[in-house]
Amino acid sequence: MKKLLCMLLVLSMALLAFTACGGDNGKDATIYEKAQEMTWDELFELAKAETGDFNAYGNTSRIKDAMTAFVAKYGAELGLSDSNAVGTKMSDSEIYTTIESEYQSAGNSKGASMVMIQDGATLLTYINGTEYFANYVPKAYADKLDKSAVTPLVQQYINKLIMWNNVGSDSAVITNVWQLTEASMKGKVYFKSPKNEQVNMNFLIMCTSKEWSDKLADAYKAYFGKNIELGTYKNAGYKWVAEFLNNANFSINSDTTIAGDLSKPENTGKAGLFVLSKLRDKSVVSDNLTVAAFADGVAPFSGFMYPMYCQIAQKGPRPYTAMLFIEYLMTEEGFQPWGKSIGAYSSNPALAALEGDQPLSFWMEKLVFEDPQYIMDNKAEITDFVNKIIG
Amino acid sequence: MENLQVSTVSGKRRLKNSIKAFFTEPANIILAISVVVLGFFTIYPMVLLISDTARVHIAEIMFKELRGLKVGQFTFFHWFRMLFSDMSGVYFWNPLKNAVLMSLLSSLIAIAYGGVVAFLITRTDMNCKKFISSVFIFPYIMPSWTLASFWKNFFQNPEIGSGTGGFLFNLFGWKVSEGFVYGLVPCAIVLGLHYAPFAYILIGGILRNMDANLEEAATVLKASRMKIIRRITLPIVLPALLSTFLLVFSSSMSAYAVPQFLGGSSGFTVLTTTMKQFINSGWYGQGYIMAIFMILFGLIILGLNQYATGKRKSFTTVTGKSGQISYIKMGVWKHIAAGIIIALCLFCSVLPLVTFALESLCVIPGDYSTLTLEFWISKTATSSGNGIRGLFYEPQVWTAFKNSLLLSATCAVTAGTMGILIGYSVAKKRGTFLAKAADNLAFLPYLMPSMAMGAAFLAIGGPLGLSKTFFLLALVGGIKYLPFASRSGINAMLQLSGEIEEAALIVNVPWWKRMVRVIFPIQRSTFISGYLLPFTSCMRELSLFTLLASGSTVLLTTLLEDWQAWWTQSANALNLLIIITVLAVNFLVNKLTGASIDKGVGG
Repeated sequence: MKKLLCMLLVLSMALLAFTACGGDNGKDATIYEKAQEMTWDELFELAKAETGDFNAYGNTSRIKDAMTAFVAKYGAELGLSDSNAVGTKMSDSEIYTTIESEYQSAGNSKGASMVMIQDGATLLTYINGTEYFANYVPKAYADKLDKSAVTPLVQQYINKLIMWNNVGSDSAVITNVWQLTEASMKGKVYFKSPKNEQVNMNFLIMCTSKEWSDKLADAYKAYFGKNIELGTYKNAGYKWVAEFLNNANFSINSDTTIAGDLSKPENTGKAGLFVLSKLRDKSVVSDNLTVAAFADGVAPFSGFMYPMYCQIAQKGPRPYTAMLFIEYLMTEEGFQPWGKSIGAYSSNPALAALEGDQPLSFWMEKLVFEDPQYIMDNKAEITDFVNKIIG
Repeated sequence: MENLQVSTVSGKRRLKNSIKAFFTEPANIILAISVVVLGFFTIYPMVLLISDTARVHIAEIMFKELRGLKVGQFTFFHWFRMLFSDMSGVYFWNPLKNAVLMSLLSSLIAIAYGGVVAFLITRTDMNCKKFISSVFIFPYIMPSWTLASFWKNFFQNPEIGSGTGGFLFNLFGWKVSEGFVYGLVPCAIVLGLHYAPFAYILIGGILRNMDANLEEAATVLKASRMKIIRRITLPIVLPALLSTFLLVFSSSMSAYAVPQFLGGSSGFTVLTTTMKQFINSGWYGQGYIMAIFMILFGLIILGLNQYATGKRKSFTTVTGKSGQISYIKMGVWKHIAAGIIIALCLFCSVLPLVTFALESLCVIPGDYSTLTLEFWISKTATSSGNGIRGLFYEPQVWTAFKNSLLLSATCAVTAGTMGILIGYSVAKKRGTFLAKAADNLAFLPYLMPSMAMGAAFLAIGGPLGLSKTFFLLALVGGIKYLPFASRSGINAMLQLSGEIEEAALIVNVPWWKRMVRVIFPIQRSTFISGYLLPFTSCMRELSLFTLLASGSTVLLTTLLEDWQAWWTQSANALNLLIIITVLAVNFLVNKLTGASIDKGVGG
């Protein structure tokens, strides 16, 4: 009996060692450097010679539509069709687990060739510590993009904004974010729990950075007319985060439902921090909601902005097709699946904002942008800080 | 010298003969194969899981304590942080306490509710048995968050949670306290209601097959009512009670959707919700420690179950002799009991379905002046602006529908058949090492949290060249749902007196014919429930497949997960489609074979 168990254990350990060894490493890193200097046409010729499926995973469901449009336009020449070129929505962690397993498998003809990732901090750890991904910036855009959008390549930004229910009142519910920490707002600020929404956590982490804690300290003085007293908090950012979380209402777990519920007449005077695109959802009575940034704004920020990154999967079967697809996503046509609704902004500055929305430059002034390096360095500590408060 | 040779030859021959004898018995062959196959697929993922709790993963380099270490390097950091650091209360002890309390409560609720209904249906002359029997299993067919979502929508009032009024408040102006809508109590009640059908099926199956002569004999011998229950009914039902407790407790320990949904504003966290948070951040070491504790708790209960069932003598309740059931006369209470149970069934089975149907017809959720059919029948993208067409015309839905049906059927056939075979062999070879090993190994997958099991199979899928294949989904599903089938198989076989098969054996009926012509028909209803339970569970399973199904292998539930966060109405319609499909299959099987999930109980 013991022998049997021992044999099973040995067998398991052997397989464990086998999986741990993994396959060979990624492609020669120089191909990405060389490709960076190539034009679309040159890449296209190389892509034609590629075989295997073309799969893309993204933390956005619209990657499916983008892939369909790409295949419709170039599929015939590149040997792609709806059956061998698929865009799949996955969460970041699902993407990492899947890519890890694909990277370790010997033949990877069905694995992903490119991914779209939401959380920059974790992506940085993977870029630094593994060879799963390669950054690729299309030559045509290398000079046009903002410096912060190049490594890793940002394809688009999405904003979450402070909004309030305006039923029965024309005046702003808040003009300063410190108002969200006051007793009168207890339970009246809808915010998807940072436990379940990494970008919300990232926003809170950014608030503790030097830049934003200084701005929060100034805003405190402007609102209360006195210097901030930190007590045991490290800086004004920590204090705001703690007091904001104590007031926030986490009972709704979907931005769509937050928008829908907040827009109901009975919720007048309440506020929320969620994606702008929901205003165009038919289930939301958008007339009942005021976007702080479009009114007088809120000091020192009216919400936050998070990026969506594009990376090439090094072990994917079609690296050149992936490069073409990334370049396609930077064009107006490629961005269309996201760009047709408000609240999503291409990193390509040449693309104009939709009617009723504002361009990226407008938001740069008003919102907290993510700095993946700062988040990576501080995520562990501030996640603990946040969890201690919300349990 | 000659003597020595003779003894060697006879020793060899003896060994050969005993091996031959061992393998001439089908039960032994089945047990040996099961132990090897299941041993690999259950122990290997566990080894992976345990080794991961003591290794550095890439995203964990964010912790200052781990900076400078290499990925894969050995560390005790995760264990220290989870069990002894200043964050251990928030991340581990508190969620653990909550999870155990929630699971205990939900097990008690499930056993009490399901057990009482099973007793009333099988042993009394209560009214409307047929209706209750079929409606009672609805909550199990529905994804558990459906009931959680309904609970919230029903009891919500403006003073708590989302600040909007629910049905109870809108209709009657009644307000319940926050603790009844968010936190431990509602989570335990919803899980208890969700798993009550387990108790109903398992306990009812035994009660139904129990020969009333046993009780009558005791009555003739002037045993008191209490004594009869204590010495006859309870010992016979005990294995089913323990099985139910084991199933519900383990399921509740690894339940994710319900505490996620109703934990909400009150900060109620359990192991799974915290584990998901860690896994999402790539902090697997700490996340998997929780998985290990979930498994540990399951193992402890499994051990208790083993101890209890090992101690008792065998109770065969289905014999070749005549059996009869006499119903307890309830008098006027047969109407009252039926009324109360029907009301409860309507509340947690029918009402959620109705509200989901209604919600899928509203442009603005809850506003019934904005009714529309577009989320069902629009041939072009709906007005939600998400590019999704009406359910009937959305290609993704049909791909997912086909995949889900095929996968559930495959898992049901695999798990169901293996369950019967293992049940048969375990009952035949009861008490032997192989039987115990096969019994426990067949149950182990149940204790593996689905999410962790999915991750482990993803890890073994790569080296075996099975990544992203339908086969991998079927494999993980077949193994994960084997416990349902093996439990019902073992329960059914333990009831079966050996004399039945022996009668066929005497007249030289081959093994397969004994199985197909004798054993299967007698316990058909219980065996078929061993097929239907995996089917049902598989149709609405999410966490197990979420890492494995994508692209061409998309399933209804993974699609639902995607839609749920953003497009409520389309998600509601999709959810309804899942429930209707399971009901339709249940109905079809019922019409074709006369059995159904609830048929194990009768009515």
